[in-house]
This record gives sequence, C-alpha cells and structure tokens, in this order.
Amino acid sequence: MGPHKFWTWTCALALPLLVLVLVRAQATPKTPNHYVGSETCKTCHPDVNLNFYKNPHYKSIASGKEPPEKTGCEGCHGPGGDHVAARGGKATIGAFSNFTAQQTLDTCLGCHSKDMSRAGIRNSPHTEADVVCTSCHSIHKPATPKFLLAKQQKDLCYTCHASERAQFNMPSKHRVNEGVIQCTDCHNPHGSVTASATNSGNMGANSAMLAPAFDNEEPCLKCHVDKRGPFVFEHASVRVEGCEGCHVPHGSTNAKMLKRPVVFTLCLECHNGAGTFGRQNTGVFTTPSTHNMLDPKYQQCTLCHVRIHGSNSDPTFLR
Amino acid sequence: MRTSLKFALLLTPVLALAQQTVAPTADEATGPARGENAGSYNIVQSWELGYRFATIGGDDGKYRSDVNYGNGIRLLSSFLTVNSRDGHGHWFDEITLTTQGLGNDPYESATLRIQKNRLYRYDMLWRSNDYFNPGLTVANGEHLEDTTFRTQDHELTLLPQNWFRVRAGYSRTTQSGPALTTEQEFDSLGDVFPLFRDLREQYNEYRLGADVTLKGFRFSVMHRWEYFKEDTTDNLTATLQGTSVPFGGGPTDPSSLSTFSRAQPYRGRTPAWLANLYAERKWLAVNGRFTYAGGRGDFIQNETAIGIDRFGSSQNQQIIVTGNGDRPVVTGDLNITVFPSSRISVINVTSISNTRITGNNEYEQFSNATLSAQDLNFQFLGVRLITNATDLRYRLSKRLSFFGGFRYSDRLIQSTEDLATPGSPFDGTSAQQTNILRSGVAGFNWMPIKDLTIHAEGGIGRNNNPFTPVSLRNNSLINTRGQYRKRTYSLTAGYQENYNNNSISITAYSSHARTWNGDVSWHAKSWLTLDTSYSKLHLDTAGGLAFFAGTPRATLMTTPESIYVSNIHSGNLGARMPITKRADIYIGYNITKDTGDGRASLAVQPTAIAQVFYNVQTFPLTYQTPLVRLSVQITPKLRYNVGYQYYGYHEDFGVLGYNQSYRANTGYTSLLWSF
Repeated sequence: MGPHKFWTWTCALALPLLVLVLVRAQATPKTPNHYVGSETCKTCHPDVNLNFYKNPHYKSIASGKEPPEKTGCEGCHGPGGDHVAARGGKATIGAFSNFTAQQTLDTCLGCHSKDMSRAGIRNSPHTEADVVCTSCHSIHKPATPKFLLAKQQKDLCYTCHASERAQFNMPSKHRVNEGVIQCTDCHNPHGSVTASATNSGNMGANSAMLAPAFDNEEPCLKCHVDKRGPFVFEHASVRVEGCEGCHVPHGSTNAKMLKRPVVFTLCLECHNGAGTFGRQNTGVFTTPSTHNMLDPKYQQCTLCHVRIHGSNSDPTFLR
Repeated sequence: MRTSLKFALLLTPVLALAQQTVAPTADEATGPARGENAGSYNIVQSWELGYRFATIGGDDGKYRSDVNYGNGIRLLSSFLTVNSRDGHGHWFDEITLTTQGLGNDPYESATLRIQKNRLYRYDMLWRSNDYFNPGLTVANGEHLEDTTFRTQDHELTLLPQNWFRVRAGYSRTTQSGPALTTEQEFDSLGDVFPLFRDLREQYNEYRLGADVTLKGFRFSVMHRWEYFKEDTTDNLTATLQGTSVPFGGGPTDPSSLSTFSRAQPYRGRTPAWLANLYAERKWLAVNGRFTYAGGRGDFIQNETAIGIDRFGSSQNQQIIVTGNGDRPVVTGDLNITVFPSSRISVINVTSISNTRITGNNEYEQFSNATLSAQDLNFQFLGVRLITNATDLRYRLSKRLSFFGGFRYSDRLIQSTEDLATPGSPFDGTSAQQTNILRSGVAGFNWMPIKDLTIHAEGGIGRNNNPFTPVSLRNNSLINTRGQYRKRTYSLTAGYQENYNNNSISITAYSSHARTWNGDVSWHAKSWLTLDTSYSKLHLDTAGGLAFFAGTPRATLMTTPESIYVSNIHSGNLGARMPITKRADIYIGYNITKDTGDGRASLAVQPTAIAQVFYNVQTFPLTYQTPLVRLSVQITPKLRYNVGYQYYGYHEDFGVLGYNQSYRANTGYTSLLWSF
C-alpha cells in the first residue's frame, strides 16, 4: 500500500468517527455550573465554616439578601456545582492558589473596590510585582481579626522588605517593633492614590506607596503637626524636597534619624553655594565668614538655628 | 469551644514570631485563648498583667532615647473579641479591643472596633509615646526633650455596606512636656543661652463626608476642619553668665542673661475639601481625586531679654513679631487603567498640585525701651508640580509577566523674598525655576518553578535642574528579589542598588547605596518555629563643601569634601520551641553593626579642619538586643511568662567627643489569663 492509499483509508475511517464524536458532543451538552449555597460547602469544609461567623465576610451571609454570586463561599470561589459533582478538587472550583495575580485582584475588587483607600491598587507597585490580596490577607486563617492579615502587620511587610526590618532594628527609629506605630500609618499597601506627595524629592517618579496627608503632603506631617506650618519663613528644602532631605524615615544609626551622625555635614552638603541650586537659582548660600567651623559652636548649626523646619519670626530660623 | 481553640492554636506560630521586643505587642494573644459562648455571642479574651524592670548602665539619656522601658506594673497586653454568632446582634455584631503597655510603658496603645452589620462601624485608635531625646549630637544636649506624644483617631461609618455611606471622624494629637532650647541674644557672635521650654502643642481635626455608589460609579466627598495651636513658652530659670555655657565668645565673654521671657502663641486652621470619583468596568478603571486645603496660621511673639552683651554693655531688649502665613494647596489626580485584554494593562496617572505659601510678619526690636528698628518681612514660595506616569504590564503566561513605565514630572518653583521697613517700596528678590524629571522603569515577574518567584526591575532617572546639591539628578536603581515559599518554610533573598550623581562644575555630590538581604522562615509545627534574616546596608556619599574656617581669621575653604561611609550588618533571629509539655521558650537576637569604612581608629590628620571632617566620615557602632522569654502553662486558662532582654549600644569612636554607649538589662514577669 502506497502512501496515497494509506491516507485515503485513514481519512475514510477517521471521518465517521469524528462526526460521531461531534454529534455525541451536541447530543449531550455540558451542564452549566451552578450555585449550591454555603450550606452545601460546609458538608466537606466544616473547619472553615464553623468559625466563619467571626469573619467580616460573614455579613454577606447574615444579610440573607445578597445574590448567590455575592455571598458566602461562592461569592469568592465561584459556583460550586461542578465541584460538588466532581466530589471536590481544585480544578472544579475557583481556588485562589490556582489564580493568577490578576484573577485574584479582579475577584476581590468585585466587592472591595468601594473603599477610597483602594482606588490606587491597579497602579500600585505591589500589583506590579504580583503581590496581590492573598499575598498579605488570609481569609480563613488570619492572624489579626481586623483586616484578616496573614501575619502581624510588621512581620507581613518584613517578609519582603528586609532592609526596612533592619532599619527598624536600629537605635534611632520609628517605634514599629514596639507596636506604637505601623507601616500603614505612612504607607498605603494598596497603592497611593496620587502620583506623589507634593513635597517629595522624587517628584512623583516613585510614589513608594505613600499614604499622603490630606492635601498630598508627606505622611510625616500627619503626626509631626508642628512641622507643618504654614510658616512665614519656610525652609525651602523641607517644603520642596521633603523630610527625606535630612532624615531617614524608617530608622538610622544616627540621632534623630538624621542621614549623617553630625548636623554640620548635613547642612554644609547643601549650603555650599555651588551651581544653580536653591530658591534663587544661585546656589544654596554658604555659611557666613563669621561661622568658623573650627569653633565647636558653629559645628552645631541647630544650636542657634532652632527653628530649622520653618519660622514665623526669623528668615534664618533663629527664633 | 473546640473550634475556637483550634482557631487560636493556628494563630500561635505567627504570634510567636511576631514578638521581637521583650514585651508582648498589640494584637498578640500569647496563650491559646478559648472562646466562650454567652447568649448569641462568642467571646475571646486574654489579659496579661505584669511587672517590668530595667537597670541601665552608661548613658542613660541615650538609653531613654532608644529604648525607654522602665520599672513598674503594667497591663502589658490585652485582647478581646466579641462576635455575634448569627450576624444579627442587637446593638453590635463585633467588638475587637486590643491594648498594649497600659499603665506606665513608654509605648501605649489601644484599638477598638465596634460594628453592627450594615448599620454602623466605629474604629478608634489611641497611642501614647514617651519621647526622650538628649540631642547631644545636634545641640550639645541643650535641646533635651522629655515630652509625651499622644494621638487618637475616631472614625464612624454609617451604613457601611450601603450604596450611600456617611463618614464622620475626629483626630487629636498633642505633645507636651518639658524641654530645653537655646537662644542667642544681643549679638550673633556672642554666647548662646540655654532656656527652659514648656512645650504645648495641640492638633484637632474634624471630618464629615459621604460616599454614593450609583451604576458602578462611586462618588466621595469629605470636608475637614483642622486646628493647630501652640502655646509653648520659653523662660530663664536663673541668671546665666556667659562663661556658664559651653559655646560663644569663650571664657572671657562677659555675656549674661538675667531676665528672659518669650511667648509665641500660634493658631493655625485648615479647612479642606476632598472629592473622589471612582468607576470600574470590565476593561476600564478610572479614579479622579481633587483636594483643596486653605491653610492659615496667625501668630504673635513677645520676647524680653535683659542682660549684658559680649562687650560688657547692659542690654534691655524687647522683640515683638506679628503676622500670618497662608498656604492654599490644590491637588488633582486622575488615574486611568485600561485592560485591552486579559493579558495587558495600561495605566496612566496624572497629578497636578499647586502650593502657594505666602507669609508676612512685622518685626520690631526695641533696645533699652527705645525703638531702634522696625522691619517688615515678606516671603512667598510657590510649588507647582505636574506629574504623568504611564505603565504597561503584559502577562506572557501564568508564570511570566513584564512591565515598564515612564514618568515625567515638571515642577515650577517661584520664590520672592523681601526685607523692608514699613512704607518703603517693595524691593524684594524674585526668582523662578523649572525642574523636569524623566525616568523609566522596567522589569519582570517570573515563576520558573512552582513556589519560586523572582522579581527584578531596573530604573533610570534624569533631572535637568535639581533643587538642592543632594537631590536626585542622574540616578539609577536595581531591585531584585527571589522567594521560595512552601507551606512550612520560605526562603527569600534580595538585592537593591540606588545610585545618584549630582555633579556640576564646581562641586559634586554622589551617593551609592546597596542593600543585600536574605531571610529564612520555618514553621515546622505550631510550637516549633524559626525566623532569621540578614541584611547588609551599604552607603557611601561624597559631597563638595564650601565653608569658612581657620585661625586667626576664617577663610573660605573648599576642602575637605564631605564623605560618609556606612556598612551596616543587620541580623535577626527568632526561634520558639517547647522545653516541656507545658512550657515553651522563645529566643531572639537582633544586631546592628556598622563597621564604617573599616578604620580601626581615628588617625591624626595634617590640619585641624581636616581632622574635624575626618572624624565624622564614618560612625561605627554596635547595637544588639538578645532576648529570651519563657512561658509556662499553669492551668488551661492561666500562663506565667518571664522575659529578659539585653540592650547593648557601643560606639567605637563617638561623635564630637561624646560617647553615648550604654547597656541595659530589662525584663518582665507576667500572668496571662485567657478565656
């Protein structure tokens, strides 16, 4: 038998088989998946169900008014008809462990997009790095009753942000490990709603997911309200470039979380008169000739310039 | 009951890892709390009452600045949840209360949530932080602060699950306590006098707003009233002679201050509006935001100083300053995200903000009860920033995605400064500048095998006209992270590099920061956990200087340059393990060691001024805090805890002649009741 005959016989036998399969497929259409209700789910998942009344998501069940796609287990996991018919299995239900980051985000935002704090989640660096809802939240095994976090907040953030953990262990730091301040006091893990804080040195190039103060100021000013002003005489670098010009926001080995161990190098690195820097485009003015840097008095700039963040009385921040 | 116990036991491993300070921290129930049913509610609670001790050797001020734990009885932590079992409680469906350090700890906090499904939700946060700072390295200890910072926030949402929500809030922040400050009187070259300061600041904020959701659009509006007041006063506690202060004209300076008082009440208010519109469709998400805040501050300052100046002449000086500052801020943001397909997202963010700060004051200085000067100052600073960022994300497969973005920022800074006597023509100096920043970022997320994720990104930025010599000009960044995560353990490693070169013809500034880190976390069993991490943070900077120095007369110098090098090694270890059936132990260790630039000692430099800058080029130190905690179950509801933590801080060289090293032994014993 030559090759030509071979293909002829093969087609002759295969074609009826193909038609048979197609007809069979049409004759028995696949039953569409359907909702079965949370009562059905608890038959096999009693461990999840028994404590679910403590879960914030329980309120959708308690209401009794929500449509099946927005309540109970199937509100998140999708219709469970196939799952029940198949007697379980991740392939037949919306298992978050099988979801892509985008699927997880879309599923959760189906209900949780209402909150203004999540308005920037689509463009957040977390989403960009595929860090989405279930990366931080554990719906069924939360460590915190509020927000259903998978771990205590700081430990959750430290999982990826190890260098920040190191900074919060330094001698001079914000008291995150001591529990009196939290990462979300300054950052919005769901993404900043604005491209930048108005007084940020990076000019919006990287939002760092800041949770800015009400009028887009740096979050530092939410607590350090005395630095907010408005002052008659603003220290321009503070207002234009932000607090990070002089301070390390998380923690430092230097006092007052400064970027340098002493204040005079910090000041002189800007006040060197060079270039077109500063508010007059003529360089940030140098210290006057009376300020002999060999005199310890002039090595302690803030000894006299006590109102360094801004003053209402003196352009040079002396009072 | 058994399920509650199971639930609590599931929490135990992560709770144990969370404890890094010797004290339990908020939200942590250190024992297996069992829920109890009472009517239609389930209650879980734990209360830990104990005694804390601390003995400190070395620099007590630095210890209080860094750690600040003292002696005494405290409610170290508490935890309470009340949940309705059917979601139809009469007055509430959930109460969650956590407290930490109540009684006398330097760090106290409490959080409370009460809510009834669909009707209301109330959240409260209260914090108190005892702040102590000797200020040695910035003001030779003359700016000591021993204050208490307290903040509280209340948020009430009515109809939280409804299409129409009402939100009301109140926040309050206060700082008060004794402090020291300094004042230079009579002459800018004379002595500086330390003054007692009674710090009193208060901030109140009231909020009222509503959210409306209609046909997929959500509109939010909020009005805010913010008030800030400061009534700090500065006073002299005793006559100060010039020689009694460390700096100034030297031992022969006859300056003295016999009478001084200063009051500078400040009243600020900021009425503000916020409006937000959000909509999301299958292929599009839009968020628009607008804010306006009209900040204004009014003040008056009255200062009286009587004494002798550095020439031995009697001085009787009064300074009166009045004026106000205004800062209207308008911002607008528009975020548009388009999903042309399930694989592609295009995000564009445009932000505009305009800040205009105008201030004017009238400065009057009387000398010996005779008017000698009357100045009028005026200043204006305006910052207008337009930012546009566009990002593209493409998911090639379930395991591989790419992203890239471009950001453009245009900042206009306008400035006016004037100093004149009232009635004279305006002759101020005005200037304006434009800073344009362009930057790009690109990277990928890759899952080469199951449970292993790799994230890598790189970025580059160019600013044509940075505002300060240390601002970003030519900068680049690299950020990579790999994580292998299984159910019982995870391994993480990362590297980050930031480089900035702000070089101009006369002087240059560059900074180079590199960070390596690794983390291993293992939860073998609920009672056997291990968490350890290591980070190395390297920073080196070099900046050009220009300053006056020299003897007998100061001359302009441009050398040496400012160099700063730090090499910080940071390690963290936490392990929890059982020692008997009823007792478990937690061992932790944190160390921060800055090896500086590697120098073993401070070498003698050829000139005095070179020595001044050489001494502060690096600041090697070691800060370590080992801790151990033992927890013994006495009864099913009662545990006994005892903890010890050592704080050791050691500076290799000190700064400006100070060495602030200390060592502290701290610990606590407590009883924990869990119900």
